[in-house]
Amino acid sequence: MKRILRMLLWLAIAILAATALATIALHRGEPISATWFVLAAVCSYLVAYRVYSAFIAAKLLALDNSRATPSERRDDGRDFVPTNKWVLFGHHFAAIAGPGPLVGPTLAAQFGYLPGTLWIIAGAAFAGCVQDFVILFCSIRRDGKTLGEMARDEVSKRGGFIAQLAVLAIMVILLGVVALVIVNALKSSPWATFTLAATIPIALLLGVYLRFVRPGRVLEASLIGVALVLFSVVAGQWVAGSPAWAHAFTLSGITLTFAIIVYGFSASALPVWLLLAPRDYLSAFIKAGAIFSLAGGILLVRPHVLMPPLTRFVDGNGPVFAGKIFPFCFITIACGAISGFHSLISSGTTPKMIQRESHARLIGYGAMLMESFVGVMAMVAACAMTPGVYFAINSPAQIVGASPESAAQTISNWGYPLSASTMTALAHSVGEQTLWNRAGGAPSLAVGMAQIFSTTIGGDRLLSIWYHFAIMFEALFILTVLDAGTRVGRFMIQELGGRVWKPFGRLNWYPAILLSSAMIVAAWGYFLYQGVVDPLGGINSLWPLFGISNQLLAAVALVVATTILLKMGRLRWIWVTLLPMAWLVVITMTASYEKIFSSNPRIGFLSFASALSAQIASGHIPVGKIGETQRIIFNQRLDAAVTAVLAIMILVLLVEAVVQWHAILGRGKEPVLHETPYVATQWAEGD
Amino acid sequence: MAAPVRKLSHAAADFWQAIRAWCGDDAYETYRRCAARRKDKKVLSPTEFYVEQLERRYSRPSRCC
Repeated sequence: MKRILRMLLWLAIAILAATALATIALHRGEPISATWFVLAAVCSYLVAYRVYSAFIAAKLLALDNSRATPSERRDDGRDFVPTNKWVLFGHHFAAIAGPGPLVGPTLAAQFGYLPGTLWIIAGAAFAGCVQDFVILFCSIRRDGKTLGEMARDEVSKRGGFIAQLAVLAIMVILLGVVALVIVNALKSSPWATFTLAATIPIALLLGVYLRFVRPGRVLEASLIGVALVLFSVVAGQWVAGSPAWAHAFTLSGITLTFAIIVYGFSASALPVWLLLAPRDYLSAFIKAGAIFSLAGGILLVRPHVLMPPLTRFVDGNGPVFAGKIFPFCFITIACGAISGFHSLISSGTTPKMIQRESHARLIGYGAMLMESFVGVMAMVAACAMTPGVYFAINSPAQIVGASPESAAQTISNWGYPLSASTMTALAHSVGEQTLWNRAGGAPSLAVGMAQIFSTTIGGDRLLSIWYHFAIMFEALFILTVLDAGTRVGRFMIQELGGRVWKPFGRLNWYPAILLSSAMIVAAWGYFLYQGVVDPLGGINSLWPLFGISNQLLAAVALVVATTILLKMGRLRWIWVTLLPMAWLVVITMTASYEKIFSSNPRIGFLSFASALSAQIASGHIPVGKIGETQRIIFNQRLDAAVTAVLAIMILVLLVEAVVQWHAILGRGKEPVLHETPYVATQWAEGD
Repeated sequence: MAAPVRKLSHAAADFWQAIRAWCGDDAYETYRRCAARRKDKKVLSPTEFYVEQLERRYSRPSRCC
């Protein structure tokens, strides 16, 4: 009887998921309630977790709780620490949740809410969660080895090298792109700039407190820090209201670029306890608080989604970024659906802390579902504002026009009515000088979040505080990624350089620290600068590059996973990793091809470079601007070369893997699995 | 009446402990317990452990995009 009731309950959830998905897919004309989005996402996740993840756990991976995990066998109280599964779920989620699932869906909203929402939900269930879960399992069975080490052991030495290079490439591009998002959010905004600047002395204060006053007392220090950060959000309005202070904190894109580059260098070269770690603690608390508040706000307010399901920009001529739904929607939304970067976390700290193999299902598959839900919420927040406002914030001036009147006219002509006075009033109500042409996703998401929060608490009176809270939350998030990524990139460069010249690899030798920090900062700083001076706003060329590199890493992870599963003899179920891998290879290759060779200058790097060269040759560029234009031409060609290298890397790895698979399947080669030998657990059931 | 209150206080204590574990507040206590179990000769001080733990954690990808 109980079983029948349970089955009926799951059937009801499945029907509700299908109904909600059909409603958001087929709805036309009137605005639709965000409740349908929440229902579609949550019910689909429940079904996916109950059915698909259970199937993967039982049939594909055959999780074995009698087997001791690395945290039991190597428990050292430092890296290998047996951890409660819910605590580890929180750890893992905090590590994988970054700015990607917030920014990507906001940008992809230019196609309308439908393509992005469906990709976020289906992509997570069938690709992203699968990748995280399977890689976590593979790493647990190998004492917590990294993706690069597993690629080297299980695919080939060259595969391992490609994985390492892919990680370094994604790191450089990622850091440049997320820094660009911050620059676009802080540009000409004294309130936001002050708030973010204030987090630096606050982090330093916490660093000293945690190092000298109360070593390791993270909770109390973070609570003090969070209170100070919230105060700085409120204090920002006084700064913006004072002409002298507002002037000091009103910075141009170029000035902010150099400020962030100097900051990134400092965070990498300074002791980790002083700046990086305390900022990370602050960010983790604010991140958790803001995400839960956003979820609560959406459930409470149930805003109406005003963006249509599909906009006219499905034709590829979108103002936010150019390109059709296929493949650009699938590389623009990476982290909310599938993110290669997650495979680094799933093969990093988490496998060393897991207590039982069966916990990998909740932590690997479940945490990614939660990240996907963050992506759906970001989509709702972005689509809850009127489409005209959305396009006004996210479109570069070169496309919509430089003056508010001409921009409003252009956007209205697209079919999304907007007046210049609406934008002026909105900017005024959120405490900004302007909201025109703030490409990058962060400001529009902040407007959406602020509208949801202010409907819950404070009304219009608190709209500006909520807006700057949202900007601070996004920027803090991003700076944490920037700090941590720069430092890890520095270690990678030192490791590579140490092979050529040993002293360079010494992690405590200060000249090597400074030089390698300068190298990694120069690499991402170049991409950042390139984005800031890009006439199309930078996001148009750099975000797809980031998406391609991130999905490339996901393809690498799924190639490694497929190879391992084949070696384990799981041929019957191999489609579980093979299909998402094939899908990623197809979208990565198509996007790479279009970004390099498309004849549309807004899509193809080379055609944009050619168009600019032709303009110089025909005398259309003023003499004073020729140098700058030539730099843009060089940047476009560089982006084309980077994209080509990324595409070639995945092809080489794929060929390596296919040779391996052929040998395994043809029994020409006995598969050698590099698993840690089985050791029975000493823990009783339920420990 | 006493039983629900006791249950509630247990749940609150568990929640507090989970928060401490999530943010790393109890990392040193965990390390000390492990060191005692393993009978380690040299046990790090809270400051040494804190700095060493941070150096290790931030030398590999720990935060995603």
